[in-house]
Amino acid sequence: MFRFRLYWTFTKKAFLRSAVYRFDVWSRLGSNLIFLLMWGSIWTALFAGREEAGGVSFESMLTYIVVSQFLSGVNGAGTPLWEIQEKVRTGDISLKLMRPFDVPLRYLFADFGSVAFYILTALLPLYTVMFIFMDLTLPSSWETWALFIVSAFTGFLIRYCIEMSFGLLSFFLVETGGIVDVFYFAMSLLSGSVIPLWFFPGWLERMALYLPFQGIYYIPNAVFIGRISGIEILLSLSVQLFWAAASYLLLRFVWKCASQKVVVQGG
Amino acid sequence: MPIIEVEHLMKDFMIAKRETGFLGAVKSLVKREHIKKEAVKDISFSIGEGEMVGYIGPNGAGKSTTIKMLTGILVPSSGSVTVNGIIPYENRQENAKNIGVVFGQRTQLWWDLHTIESFELLKEIYQVSGKRYKENMDTFTEILGLDEFLNTPVRQLSLGQRMRADIAASLLHDPPILFLDEPTIGLDVIAKEKMRTFIKGINNERKITVILTTHDMEDIEKLCERMILIDHGQKVYDGEIAVVKERFGKTRTLIVDLEESSHSLQLKGGEVFKEEASRFWIRFNRDEVSASELISQITETHNIKDLTVEEPAIESIISRIYQEGYQELTETVKI
Ligand SMILES: Nc1ncnc2c1ncn2[C@@H]1O[C@H](COP(=O)(O)OP(=O)(O)OP(=O)(O)O)[C@@H](O)[C@H]1O
Ligand SMILES: [Mg+2]
Repeated sequence: MFRFRLYWTFTKKAFLRSAVYRFDVWSRLGSNLIFLLMWGSIWTALFAGREEAGGVSFESMLTYIVVSQFLSGVNGAGTPLWEIQEKVRTGDISLKLMRPFDVPLRYLFADFGSVAFYILTALLPLYTVMFIFMDLTLPSSWETWALFIVSAFTGFLIRYCIEMSFGLLSFFLVETGGIVDVFYFAMSLLSGSVIPLWFFPGWLERMALYLPFQGIYYIPNAVFIGRISGIEILLSLSVQLFWAAASYLLLRFVWKCASQKVVVQGG
Repeated sequence: MPIIEVEHLMKDFMIAKRETGFLGAVKSLVKREHIKKEAVKDISFSIGEGEMVGYIGPNGAGKSTTIKMLTGILVPSSGSVTVNGIIPYENRQENAKNIGVVFGQRTQLWWDLHTIESFELLKEIYQVSGKRYKENMDTFTEILGLDEFLNTPVRQLSLGQRMRADIAASLLHDPPILFLDEPTIGLDVIAKEKMRTFIKGINNERKITVILTTHDMEDIEKLCERMILIDHGQKVYDGEIAVVKERFGKTRTLIVDLEESSHSLQLKGGEVFKEEASRFWIRFNRDEVSASELISQITETHNIKDLTVEEPAIESIISRIYQEGYQELTETVKI
């Protein structure tokens, strides 16, 4: 039986807790803006005054970058990889094993709270202003908006499961530098967060399309800017749902192994 | 029907061996060698409902490791554990509802929340009814004086306050079993006394089964009738404290300071087991010889500057047992 009320408590707590750490919100928003500026200028330079490249207009490309940074803000407001590793190392996660809740779900619901706070207080106001004052493509129908939200949320779940799984690998590995590199490489390149998949060389695009990371940035973004439409959207959403289920199973598996292997230092 | 049952419990830790030198470093790239550390090896005991048992042993004996297996945090390497009919590591969430846990060395509370918020969060986590929560909070506040720091963030609490908050937190959901791993560590004399009174009270009134580890033998003496003594991951004694006291309590220690140092203090009925400059520690059995007899023996040849006779508190009995091994103890009482 899923005790929603219990997990919802963590969402509320995390929401309120974010309000206390306001500086965090501002600094995160600052770096989000810097990245936005950086990628915005890079792509402006790459288009070099052309109206269109790779079958996509400059306006859509700029929208892609903006939406991508928005999604990156959303995904970055959850518990980051290093913090999960830290919780493993200090035994924080292990000690939660004597509490009557499921640990991966507990952190997921807490992330809902901190992400919601960040969206409401920082991302939404900023990006609304941006869409008002810049020439960007907006979805033409409310259905597309709805599909974008569903897709972005599914992407968030995929990212959470993968990031948590990678973090829990610290239970098995002493040195995790390589793991972290692989994670960030996949997260930034294979997800299409900074370069849309259609600009990839054929083999890399095919590879990316066979991996879950496209579901985090590329698919919601492709929906938003209208790169895909109609039946293609539903197809992409099914791919996303498949990856959400698969990465959830991966997380459950890693968690099961980890919780058999738990050690707690000290005491 | 025992409420806690532990049979042939073992826990090994694999510790990665650090290779030294260049070759060692290269070797460990390919294959890392591990050393097996047997933290708990073959411990069995069972504890009845409502008992309060002292689980003691020197540093590194395996006490905390055992407690962590009882709470479900650690999975045993082999052997079996049942706590209130549940195998903790297989059914952690169910087990969690039955137990309260205090690790004196680290808090279970949320570092950045106010104390009261931590309690409220626990109320939600354990789904304690509003009425029961209030009753418990009132009782604990009264006995432990929680109101003095309820609105302070946990990270700002003093050690004593934190420990009081932690034990109250562990009992909010009315668990039938309580594990206390060094609940008096670092407390001052008065705080220790209050903590003991509190623990005694909840064991008496609520019939909560308690397992308590500590290095303060006064805790054991004041709280427990039974103790389990372990060392190097093995059980060396399990039984009444009174029996140990009776058997070892006949031994007294006479400490004398002589005017001049002497290398030959031979006494009938007393054994010098330690000496430092002109101070001598003499052990004797009060059934065989009296302190005054020993003193008069000494004064025949030496001048005594100062002397004390030490009572055999459980403290010194245990420290003697730690130092001299468990042979005598195992002979005395069959485990
Ligand atoms: N996570 C771990 N990895 C490796 N070895 C460990 C680990 N935890 C405990 N040990 C080892 O297991 C042994 C038992 O440790 P444990 O913490 O159970 O002792 P203890 O009886 O609680 O001691 P103390 O009185 O000092 O708290 C020690 O030798 C310790 O070094
Ligand atoms: Mg310990």
